[in-house]
Amino acid sequence: MLLNLSRQMVIGGVVGIAAIATASTASAQFRPSATECIAPAGVGGGWDFTCRSVGKALSDLDLVPGQVAVTNLSGGGGGVAFASVVSGRGDDNDLLVAASTATVTRLAQGLYADATADQVRWVGSLGADFGIIGVAVDSEIQSLSELMDMVIADPSSVAFAGGSAAGGFDHLKILQVAVAAGMDDVTQVKYVAFDGGGEAVTQLVGGFVQAFSGDISEATGFIRSGDMRVIAVLSEVRLPGEFDNIATAREQGLDVVSPNWRGFYTPVGASQASFDYWSEALKTIAASSEWQEVMTNNGLMPFAKSGADFQSFIDQQLVDIETLSRDIGIID
Amino acid sequence: MSDRVFGAVFLVLALAFIAGASQFDVPRFVDPMGPKGFPRMAGAAVALSSLYMLLRPDPNPSWPDRRRLFEIAFVVLVFIGYVYAMKPIGFVAATAITASFISWRLGSRPAIAPVTGIIIGFSIYAVFHLALGLSLAKGPWGF
Amino acid sequence: METITLLMGGFEQALTPTNIALAVFGSILGTIIGALPGLGPSNGVAILIPLAFAFGLEPTAALILMTSVYYGAMYGGRISSILLNMPGDEPALMTTLDGYPMAKQGKAGEALALSGLASFFGAFLATIGLVIAGPLLAEVAFLFGPAENFALYAMAFATLGGLASRNQGKAIFAAGLGLSLAMIGLDGPTGSTRYTGGHLHLMEGVDFLVAIVGLFAITEVLMFIEHQGKESAIGIKVGRITAPIKTVWHCTGTMIRGTAIGFIAGVLPGAGASLGSFLAYSVEKRISNKENTFGKGDPRGVAAPEAGNNAAAGGALIPMLTLGIPGSGTTAVMLALLMTMNITPGPLLFAEKPDLVWGLIAALFIANIVLLILNIPMVGIFVRLLMVPSRILMPLVAMVAFAGIYSISGSLFDIGLMVAFGVLGYILRKLGIPAVPIILGILLGNQMEKHLRRALTISDGELAILWSSPISISLWAIAITGLIAPLLLRRYLRPRNQKS
Repeated sequence: MLLNLSRQMVIGGVVGIAAIATASTASAQFRPSATECIAPAGVGGGWDFTCRSVGKALSDLDLVPGQVAVTNLSGGGGGVAFASVVSGRGDDNDLLVAASTATVTRLAQGLYADATADQVRWVGSLGADFGIIGVAVDSEIQSLSELMDMVIADPSSVAFAGGSAAGGFDHLKILQVAVAAGMDDVTQVKYVAFDGGGEAVTQLVGGFVQAFSGDISEATGFIRSGDMRVIAVLSEVRLPGEFDNIATAREQGLDVVSPNWRGFYTPVGASQASFDYWSEALKTIAASSEWQEVMTNNGLMPFAKSGADFQSFIDQQLVDIETLSRDIGIID
Repeated sequence: MSDRVFGAVFLVLALAFIAGASQFDVPRFVDPMGPKGFPRMAGAAVALSSLYMLLRPDPNPSWPDRRRLFEIAFVVLVFIGYVYAMKPIGFVAATAITASFISWRLGSRPAIAPVTGIIIGFSIYAVFHLALGLSLAKGPWGF
Repeated sequence: METITLLMGGFEQALTPTNIALAVFGSILGTIIGALPGLGPSNGVAILIPLAFAFGLEPTAALILMTSVYYGAMYGGRISSILLNMPGDEPALMTTLDGYPMAKQGKAGEALALSGLASFFGAFLATIGLVIAGPLLAEVAFLFGPAENFALYAMAFATLGGLASRNQGKAIFAAGLGLSLAMIGLDGPTGSTRYTGGHLHLMEGVDFLVAIVGLFAITEVLMFIEHQGKESAIGIKVGRITAPIKTVWHCTGTMIRGTAIGFIAGVLPGAGASLGSFLAYSVEKRISNKENTFGKGDPRGVAAPEAGNNAAAGGALIPMLTLGIPGSGTTAVMLALLMTMNITPGPLLFAEKPDLVWGLIAALFIANIVLLILNIPMVGIFVRLLMVPSRILMPLVAMVAFAGIYSISGSLFDIGLMVAFGVLGYILRKLGIPAVPIILGILLGNQMEKHLRRALTISDGELAILWSSPISISLWAIAITGLIAPLLLRRYLRPRNQKS
């Protein structure tokens, strides 16, 4: 359904408005015209947020003429969008597709059917959203180690809610924590998949599940309103700003770091000039004050990578996740 | 009789649907019910109610006579042809032809029907494409 | 009172000549979009988003345009339901049941006027509900866990019994078929593919709009070919174009009940306008169908679902604004719009961005008043559609249905599927199998399954969780009463009809 809606946004988009991009850097050969951003999931999720916020920044900074049209092409945890870009839009220069660690996770686990990460080009990232483990504010649990003790003693006593499918990124986080806590059979961990972080947090606040596994951006509203207590953030060091009172998992003796980077891939057949253009454009956005504000509002941390740097990061992350998934037993 | 035939057909389909659930790939991390349970329940509801129709049918409805039935089947064929024609000849032409045909079957004179069809084709194009900005299949002439 | 001051502030912001012009424009456009088969409120809003940007509208103006399109489409959906037996979109589904029979009796104008009034009544009261209790009502979402949600859905299906068919077996068949069709596609919780046969098109499942347009619009065309238009409302004298005061008065209780039920359904995340109109109709039928007039052109059968779906549309804004959970396709698109304007809905939105929220609420009031006023002349215009001879009208609506589905999905597979649904719908109608439960099954099946599976995950497979809270027990009690009562009544009161 959402997929359907948004094709229109694309079509009706932008055409009439005539502001020509003043491309500051890179290629003189490539000028974006009707730029489209595909969010491989429904409205309101992380990918959708990436497309909309970056799309707006591209337009505000005059890096594209007019608006960026956002298409929600949901399905298969991003697999439908990936397949349709690879098969149908392979040489589109004006296409960005929102991606994140979740995309790499599914690729690493072979969940996009036969698709592989080298069928697209990884153009760059703009920020990272770190994983959190939270409980309802009236819960007795105060720390991550306390929670994991309960899980190990009686796995069925704690149900974790998350916005990804079983084996997906939110599930993987909690399994990583369980492995670090020394749990023998992590398949015992009880994970309930909801249709997105917002729904999962609501169920936590309602008391239907005992803990939440997700990203901090999904929960900022509920943290600020005092409905939810974050007992651990899965980052290397504490987050700056208003969230600096949240202890990292590492501090609590559980060495798990889970950055969910937010960025884009582009079709493999798009011209080198367009690839360079987008990679520079993302750099420009990452450095802008507008983007700093977006990051602060949404609990994102700086995490800007592009070009070859980003490519090698992706390669490493693919290997890491595949190894982890194999060790835990999500894939054989 | 109609109910019996229909019930029998859907009983078979429902059983196939239930059996089909066994074919799903189930990952190792799965909820207690899994992806197979609900389709089987829904399929069972169809199977049981089909069985009910098979055993306790309502009286036959009044089916149209053979000529009318043929005509309905032909309209369906025209619709299927429409689906296939849309890409090659474009939305407006395909729509004009199909609309002319239906208009003729509903009593337009053969000379008037094509006029109706062409007007319908272009007015839908005007509203959907030109006014609302939606995309319709482009034909060789750009519409 | 603080609320009043805030609301007045909202009106002050919203009531400029430009904004009122936008509201009128949006209402007319929304009504047209809603009336076209295949295009509903969610498409309407989605179509308009680029327009809002192209005009360079500031947030309040953009919201006014969107809400008037949103409500315009909610009002508009009923027009094709009543006149042509073709719901323009899913919230207007239930309005066909009594609206079309009324049109066939020459009371199309009356049905349109009454339903317009009921729509206004539902939407207006729901907006007042939003003003008084918005953030408070958001808490309702915290009372509904997976088990309660599953019970709610089960109740919706249980009250289906005898809704549109005298044969319970056939109603169950239709619901089961809808639920089965909903299973096609990718399984969300595990990522398994189900019944797709390797088709990429089917990964996303069967689109319910394709099913609605196929089962209603295409089927109607085939019925026309069979009868050459003899058994339809087209060509019938349209009669009066207002509703008699007596009828309106008679429906007041209906509208209040419809509004209350619709509003609650709307507030629950994930239920949405279609469940609101559906429950409003089925409850009203249980309460008021003493002379067995429902389904045969009872005005209350038009007033209830229309008050219900518009109230639900208002109620659905609550979880969207306060929890960031879009309860329906339309609210999802509105959510997207808000996010593009750098507004992230959540529990603190009412506190942090009061001018925006109250501007939106003022926009809702304005849109509804504009629609009420516009609908008085519009009824007269739309009713004239029935004077268009069927040899022109029927090919037109058939082709509009194709264009509607194709322009949204861009997929020939979808319009092929629509033709298949049309043929199925023809056979079903001949056999007296109702189409409404099929649509509901497709619409609600996936959510219902997910809720059940989540509940069972939490309880480690223990079924008792499904009836372990007061809310779920009450819902099950209603469901069981709804399922058994008609059977018992039939058995004891009308033993002669038992076999029919």
